[in-house]
Amino acid sequence: MSQTVATGPGASTGAPAARRRSPFAVGLAAAAVALVIVGFVASVGAFPESWNLGLADPIDRTRRWLINNQTSHWLYTVLLNPLTDLADAGIRQLEAILRWFPWYVDPVFCGLGLWQVRGRVAGALGFCGVVLIGMTDLWQQGFATLALMGVAVFLSLLAGIPLGIAAWRNDRFAGVLRPTLDAMQTMPGFVYLIPFVLLFGIGRVPALIATVIFALPPVVRLTDIGLRNVPGPMVEASEMFGATDRQTLRLVRIPAARPAILAGTNQTTMLAMSMVVIAAFIGSGGLGQDVLRAMRDIDVGEASEAGIAIVIMAIILDRFTRGIATLGERWRGQEPNAHAGGSLRAADTVTIRWIAGATGLVALVGGIVGHNTFPEWLQWHYAPYINDITAWARDNIYDIGSSGVGTGPLSDFITVYMVTPLRELLSSGIPWPAMIGLGVLGGLLASGVTLGLGIGIALFLIGWLGMWELSMDTLAQTLVAVAVTLAIAVPLGIQASHSDRFQRLMDPVLDFLQTIPSFVLLVPVITLFHVGRIPGIIASVVYALPAAVHYTDLGLRRVPAEVHEAATSFGATRWQRLRRVELPLAAPELMVAVNQVIMLVLAMVVIAGLVGGGGLGLETVNALRRSDAVGRGFEAGIAIVLLAGILDRLTRGVADRLRPPAAA
Amino acid sequence: MDQTSPDSAGIPAVHKVTGADADAAETTVSVTGLWKIFGRKVDAARELAESGAERDRIQAETGCLVAVQDVSFHVHAGETFVVMGLSGSGKSTLVRCVSRLIEPTFGHMEVCGTILADASETALRELRRSKMAMVFQHFGLFPHRRVVDNVAYGLEVQGVARDVRHERAREVLTTVGLDGWGDHYPQQLSGGMQQRVGLAHALAVEPEVLFFDEPFSALDPLIRRDMQDELVTLQLELQRTIVFITHDFAEALRLADRIAIMRDGAFTQVGTPLEILTQPADDYVRAFTQDAPIAKVLPACSLMRPVGDVAVEQGWPRTTETATLESALPFLLSEHHPVVVCNAEGDPLGLLHQDDVAAVLEQNLR
Repeated sequence: MSQTVATGPGASTGAPAARRRSPFAVGLAAAAVALVIVGFVASVGAFPESWNLGLADPIDRTRRWLINNQTSHWLYTVLLNPLTDLADAGIRQLEAILRWFPWYVDPVFCGLGLWQVRGRVAGALGFCGVVLIGMTDLWQQGFATLALMGVAVFLSLLAGIPLGIAAWRNDRFAGVLRPTLDAMQTMPGFVYLIPFVLLFGIGRVPALIATVIFALPPVVRLTDIGLRNVPGPMVEASEMFGATDRQTLRLVRIPAARPAILAGTNQTTMLAMSMVVIAAFIGSGGLGQDVLRAMRDIDVGEASEAGIAIVIMAIILDRFTRGIATLGERWRGQEPNAHAGGSLRAADTVTIRWIAGATGLVALVGGIVGHNTFPEWLQWHYAPYINDITAWARDNIYDIGSSGVGTGPLSDFITVYMVTPLRELLSSGIPWPAMIGLGVLGGLLASGVTLGLGIGIALFLIGWLGMWELSMDTLAQTLVAVAVTLAIAVPLGIQASHSDRFQRLMDPVLDFLQTIPSFVLLVPVITLFHVGRIPGIIASVVYALPAAVHYTDLGLRRVPAEVHEAATSFGATRWQRLRRVELPLAAPELMVAVNQVIMLVLAMVVIAGLVGGGGLGLETVNALRRSDAVGRGFEAGIAIVLLAGILDRLTRGVADRLRPPAAA
Repeated sequence: MDQTSPDSAGIPAVHKVTGADADAAETTVSVTGLWKIFGRKVDAARELAESGAERDRIQAETGCLVAVQDVSFHVHAGETFVVMGLSGSGKSTLVRCVSRLIEPTFGHMEVCGTILADASETALRELRRSKMAMVFQHFGLFPHRRVVDNVAYGLEVQGVARDVRHERAREVLTTVGLDGWGDHYPQQLSGGMQQRVGLAHALAVEPEVLFFDEPFSALDPLIRRDMQDELVTLQLELQRTIVFITHDFAEALRLADRIAIMRDGAFTQVGTPLEILTQPADDYVRAFTQDAPIAKVLPACSLMRPVGDVAVEQGWPRTTETATLESALPFLLSEHHPVVVCNAEGDPLGLLHQDDVAAVLEQNLR
């Protein structure tokens, strides 16, 4: 997942808009300032309820109509139902095939695969991981998740690679596609579920479709980029041999773009994984469902078992797809057998083939005999221990000796002194016209008239949808989480950029954190912080931390060594050098970090609606739980998208502003 | 073209036919009035250029870059024609226009009897598959294919069966001295070896015309020397028609039958190495010749006279046709006999006389 951020929307570098002061912009700024003043003077509060557009009712009516006509209307009988049945059959079939294999074969194959692509240690860990999933009796659920994912990834690649090729071939299509992908990647995964629930109801098929769409952008983007980056001379050479365009594409361009396409496949797989888990909300089944059920019952032990199974699966899939991506590279490197991670000896390859062959034979026999469920005598649950730890944590860490120190008081502190005041300030303290005015002003300063107007309209729409207060609640939580994340991440990033040893130490931790599907992060957090707004904020911080540290480190490392030396030779102290030279030079990258953090935090805060986070998230969760709340949820979904868009464009605008003018 | 022809510069051609005199029948590559103008207002730019305007002025006035300006030349079968120019002179654009990797703006090109300007996609592809090949500056190799698959690529796109093309590829690899390296990937080879693969890549399709786009300039000087020697030897055997682009004057002298000096998109002089060295057309060309180690770069055969009815005696010193003038100098200084220039079989081709050599060296010193 670590590359997701690098190709995300924040990474695109628009040319910095020249700072022009057109009369129109000045007028707009004046109007914004006037709005702020008028708002305060007239002391209007939140957006008036009476202005509500009332979108929820028609949507609920549509939903009811759809439910009533699901068996009769041609839209369903001719188009959607057959599609649903086909997709469902596909998933079922794949699940059946996966489950046909005897239980003892799966860990062996998984271990061998990882051994081949990552080395012995990875192989051994992979083997143990799969066994652990079986031992905790999550075999069936694991396969359900895997089958849904497999079909989703397959469909994403099936659609994504040709789309990427089309985008590479046709610049105009790319011009339309790229902003669409940008917008898709700023939307929290959760929001994708709502329209499909509206159309299909709950079940695996809407989950599948939402997953396919959510997971699509990276593979499209990287196929396009990969094909565009094929060196010109290579293509020229191919043409010079009289290759047709098709031959050049098949024999030269696609093989040369293979590493990029495979990196895209890795990211798509990881996005699909996180979405399949979230899609438990709409009945995708599998491991996500177990986590969800356990969290509703606040059974941290159960939730942990399923959560850890998900993390194991995610890590295995990540390492495996990444391994395949680097394998192609490695074969054409300087040393044919040099490994990126461990070392694969030629002898190992032979051993792997022998074991794989033998296991294959055993699989055939065992599959026919029917050893396909993990045996009960091997089962071992660690949920009780986790529950003991949780209980202990509640008694001992939540409020240590009733001294006012512990996670409880910390949670109260953040709530009372940070989240609540900020929420009240944003939702009713600052009058809504003033908020809109500030938004317009921010857009004007960050980028220009277009962004200023866009933000103004988007904010007004949020109010019109009747989502003003909920959005300001979500915004307040987001801002607090972003502040906390940056306060932790920037020093870590600075430290990592100054010390290779520290970076090497941090890397695996961050890598691990990034692989965990967002939803699962809530499990340990509710252990320590109970339900409410705080677990969501803490989980967001953990979720966004890796990207923030990574970008800070990256930005500071890009500062050329000569600049360092020059600063030092002038007798600058380390602190002076950091503050006067490195941070200003790394400012654009740091802004990209801020952008990524905001987007990740927002996605997580929305999911945290599940554990009492309130705000827009709660509305969407409700929409997915109760069919009568779909309308409200839809409105909330649009508000989330608008909010995400505003925050994304604003931070990207600032990042572009900070970028020094490109050399002519 | 007038000012570019050596004849009009008032210098009598020493020997060898020049392009203008060449028999049309044996001309393999023929280019007449070739222009490449990057930009929109091509006609205006051309008019300006024809009225003698400088490149910078044309760019300022029309926004167009005149990369190749009214270039004509003819290369006949088996000849090595070298285009020498500094970076930005338009030489790479020229070779890409001639092979139609990029479309020329105006002009007539003919390769092996096919008129390229109006050749269809299919005809062009056919020509590239069977008649011409190019060796690129950065080798033009495919990093994802093994060396043998790289060399076989040209045959693969022609639809030649796997076994046949691999056999042929391994043959060609042996020719360029890379026997046994077929199963490696290009990145595992040194720069010089990679360019041998590049050469094999091009030779595998048995082209009549070979284009070389600064093939050796990415190599370090010693390897470059080796590759040049190898190309000379290979060419003696293969006798292909070669259009060779370089920015290295010494390289041009070593390889060329004829050299065209290119500057700001146009040819300033076309002639044999000897002509260029001894009768530079203008100060620009002279600047190159001044530093040229003439004795080191001119082959002995370039100054030889026909044996005619002279009776060659056994005791006379001998040298080979690929040897440099310098290698014959000790004999010329110590003996009174002419040096006999022989081919690989030892048959005398001509005689190298002291006076001729002295005259050329003296001219170069002036």
